[in-house]
Amino acid sequence: MIRRRELLVGAGALSLASLRGAPAHAAAPEVVVGVLYAMSGASAQVGVDARHAIETALDIINNDHDLDLPGAKGVGLSGMGGAKIRLVFADHQADPQKGRAEAERLITQDKVSALVGCYQSAVSATVSATAERYGVPFVCADSSSPSLHRKGLKYFFRPAAHDEMFSTAMFDFLDAQRKQGQKIDSVALFFEDTIYGVDSSTVQRKLAAERGYKLVADVKYKSNSPSLTAEVQQLKTANADVLLPTSYTTDAILLTKTMAELGYKPKSIIAQAAGFSEKVTYDAVGDKLQGLISRGSFSLDLAAKRPMVATVNTMYKARAGRDLNDNSSRQFMALIVLADALDRAGSTDGQKIRAALAATDIPGTRTVMPWTKVAFGPDGQNTHADPVLLQWIGDKFITIFPESAAVAPAKWPMNG
Amino acid sequence: MTTLTTALAPGSAPARAEASYAAKRRRKLIVAALVFAGLAALPYGVRDVYLQNVLILTLMYAALSQSWNILGGYCGQVSLGHALYFGFGAYATSVLFVNYGVLPWFGMLAGGALSAAVALVLGYPCFRLAGHYFSIATIVIAEIGLLLVHNWDFVGGAMGIQWPFNPDSWWTLQFARDKIPYVHFAVGFLAVVWFVTWLIEGSRWGYWWRAVKDDAQAAESLGVEVFRSKMAAAAVSAFFTAIGGGFYAAYVSYIDPESVMSFRFSLLFALPAVLGGIGTLWGPLVGAAILIPLTEISRSYLGGSGNGLDLMLYGVLVMVVALARPEGVLSLFRRTRKARNEEATP
Amino acid sequence: MTTQALVQVLASGLLMGLIYALIAVGLSLIFGLMDVVNFAHGEFLMLAMYATFGLVLVTQLDPVVLMPLVAALLFMLGAAAYMGVVRFAMRAKANQGMVQIFATFGLAILLQGAAQYLFTPDYRNVQNTWLGGRTLDLGGIFLPWPQIFGALVSLAAFGGLHLLMSRTDFGRALEATREDQGAVALVGIDRNRVFALGWGLGAALVGLAGAVLAIFYYIHPQVGASFALIAYVTVALGGFGSVGGALVAGIIVGLVEAFTAVILPPALKSVGVYALYLAVVFARPQGLFGRL
Repeated sequence: MIRRRELLVGAGALSLASLRGAPAHAAAPEVVVGVLYAMSGASAQVGVDARHAIETALDIINNDHDLDLPGAKGVGLSGMGGAKIRLVFADHQADPQKGRAEAERLITQDKVSALVGCYQSAVSATVSATAERYGVPFVCADSSSPSLHRKGLKYFFRPAAHDEMFSTAMFDFLDAQRKQGQKIDSVALFFEDTIYGVDSSTVQRKLAAERGYKLVADVKYKSNSPSLTAEVQQLKTANADVLLPTSYTTDAILLTKTMAELGYKPKSIIAQAAGFSEKVTYDAVGDKLQGLISRGSFSLDLAAKRPMVATVNTMYKARAGRDLNDNSSRQFMALIVLADALDRAGSTDGQKIRAALAATDIPGTRTVMPWTKVAFGPDGQNTHADPVLLQWIGDKFITIFPESAAVAPAKWPMNG
Repeated sequence: MTTLTTALAPGSAPARAEASYAAKRRRKLIVAALVFAGLAALPYGVRDVYLQNVLILTLMYAALSQSWNILGGYCGQVSLGHALYFGFGAYATSVLFVNYGVLPWFGMLAGGALSAAVALVLGYPCFRLAGHYFSIATIVIAEIGLLLVHNWDFVGGAMGIQWPFNPDSWWTLQFARDKIPYVHFAVGFLAVVWFVTWLIEGSRWGYWWRAVKDDAQAAESLGVEVFRSKMAAAAVSAFFTAIGGGFYAAYVSYIDPESVMSFRFSLLFALPAVLGGIGTLWGPLVGAAILIPLTEISRSYLGGSGNGLDLMLYGVLVMVVALARPEGVLSLFRRTRKARNEEATP
Repeated sequence: MTTQALVQVLASGLLMGLIYALIAVGLSLIFGLMDVVNFAHGEFLMLAMYATFGLVLVTQLDPVVLMPLVAALLFMLGAAAYMGVVRFAMRAKANQGMVQIFATFGLAILLQGAAQYLFTPDYRNVQNTWLGGRTLDLGGIFLPWPQIFGALVSLAAFGGLHLLMSRTDFGRALEATREDQGAVALVGIDRNRVFALGWGLGAALVGLAGAVLAIFYYIHPQVGASFALIAYVTVALGGFGSVGGALVAGIIVGLVEAFTAVILPPALKSVGVYALYLAVVFARPQGLFGRL
């Protein structure tokens, strides 16, 4: 009896303590930025990695670093009298309702000047709407659904590419291979039944039809299935020239294992990143994915041209225990881009930050990405975020497309 | 059996007892009116929108749990598939409003009517099942519904439905920043479900349902139409669950299959009633008032770390309350009052 | 569809079905013993997979060798779950069914949180196993060795369980306790001890399944959810408490799932299994082999 009551009182006291704890550091001038990710549930690892990536960016902004990134030199934001950024993390558990509620909490209680997030496109949808209502800029780091920047939102900004840009790069690459005399006639789609999978497959289906590739399999599967045997059987029967999978980590691993078990070696694979850009996938089944091509926003071999990429990667690796990848690099850049705008805005006012973001013009060389530059269109989308294609060779990714960024020609077909 | 016969024949009790029973029921109404008025006034004192959001969710889950309680608590049919009806309400309201401009108020009613009809159709075969076979059938049916909606492009499939921005209005139930109207809607919704439950408690249906729950075979032999009782309870319960779904869609302004039809909603409708006191008028509200703030606040202030502490706290809470108070938290108060009465009467 | 492809679907469905049966049987055993549905069954499976992963890292032995050890660890977990949680749920005077559901559900959430706390939410894999990635090629029909092994373990476990139930004192005590809980006390059987052993045994069986799955499936704190519903449906389809029913139902579920994925879009493959469950219980409310 008593023990139960103590437990409840204890829990209440705990939450009150943290409620009071939040706004206690008012001494130094600071800008508060809210960061929303799923920190529990099936995709919690992405949230944990995002935290490391964004904290790496925070370190670079708040402390003096000799890097050619916006905000790196000097302590804090010079445009705001050396103010430092403080991050508040929130867990949305991949639930759109919780994303909305947490965004509101960060805006009203923690008085954040801007929001960063959210990985799951469904959550980014409610968070971007909430940000719009409160007039707080939302820098969408890593949700790639094209629908997000087509809602006429004024406070939505996405520095990275969206799925249409990614899929277009894939088909540009296929066209280029065709021109070089490769015989590529058919493609097979394999995608999960979420916004991410459906969005990606819609674009790929359209592009395949436009550019004259025959669609020989169109397999939508349920994510986190106990088994993918029947699905892989269909892919094997179709045996397309190119397999285009859109999967998160769990299914990427299971798909690869199941393909090997059923003796199916796809002629070539071009993957829509996500699970196919995660280190765990390659730890588990990397030997079976030799020659796989994945779209990406980021490539470590850029470090050869731009040494600071290696420096940033080392800083991130010290925190997260793994290299920067497609997701964490975009999360890192989101805060850098935001800090650049905050610096120019010189104010924590939402409208001024929005105006500064809209006027962003960062040359690609001052990012860790293969982008031409960061500059937003009226819809908040950075149209200069050129995607790259990476090929898994040995134990690392090599940039193979576009030619301007490529460090080696593609091995094509992957199993041939 | 004795409780059953007295319950079935309230008229046979002495007139004095009947009068005091009626007075007791009237008192309950007055208490309820005060409680709901207090809840409606609460957001004027608590101006923080985060806490107002917790309040809205608490009231909404209290009402949804009361809806579940009508079938699960009063009638004893443990459904773990009410997410299906919640989804119907959310989808009917969203599709009608976003695609056809039908106001959410009518959308909710349409979703409610659809859900009640579906509950009747499903009830016909399902109520032949007992215990866990029934519960698992409800889970499975809700899962089928989720999978079908997930793959049905007309309702947005996996992409879900985004509500467009609208100016603040009670007609469209859209308020950009103001949370107080949503609090009032949720209080009203809870009050209506509470009142319907109160009406049922005092009606012939109420006696029948309790009889069915206590001992379905004995009830049948005494002339209770067991099957019809269960069907009626299922329809009422499904109707209100769908209303809640419509409200949720209007409140969040974006729905997708996972965010309104996943299994965790089915559990969230049952849990508050179980924690507070199953088959009681106030159990769902008491349970929701403990469960929802605790999970919301622990997620907000512990969840950002990503180490699972908030989940552990939630799990322990559910376990401890289920084990320590099988009759629900409400029974704490009832026991003390009973004990006091026993002391008073020598 | 070619005959070869058809046989492949049949064989894959059968192997997966036997593994489903192995996952489900512990649940069925516990229910048969004491009418309790363990809602933390998926989390037991998850912990068994983590146990396998951890033991492989520490001992550098193969999961096949470690399987008995994993089963033993899970036996302890199951017995502890009974002694620490379920025993108290059984004492509830009111709403016993609900209390059991929510007590074990709370346990499930706690175990998920604990797994995330202890192991981080990262995805894990058991590397370099004897069977992992090996496939038996029967003239174009591919049978993965991990699944063949899992199917054999499943059949052996059902055989062993049958012998245990029919030939040993422990089995007879279990049988007697499930027949009449009051009477066994009179003949000197400690009900709590039998129940604790029953829970241990049920968890040990899911431990075997976890060790097998760890060879070819990924591991993370929520992995139990992918299998839990299939396990509940399997048990209910076979008839709660019927061990033989779980075996037959597991095979049926595996086959129906595989064939539904051929007929309907694969995203809907579970619909076939769920519809079959409904069809069976609407015709036979006690499942295929259950007692009313």
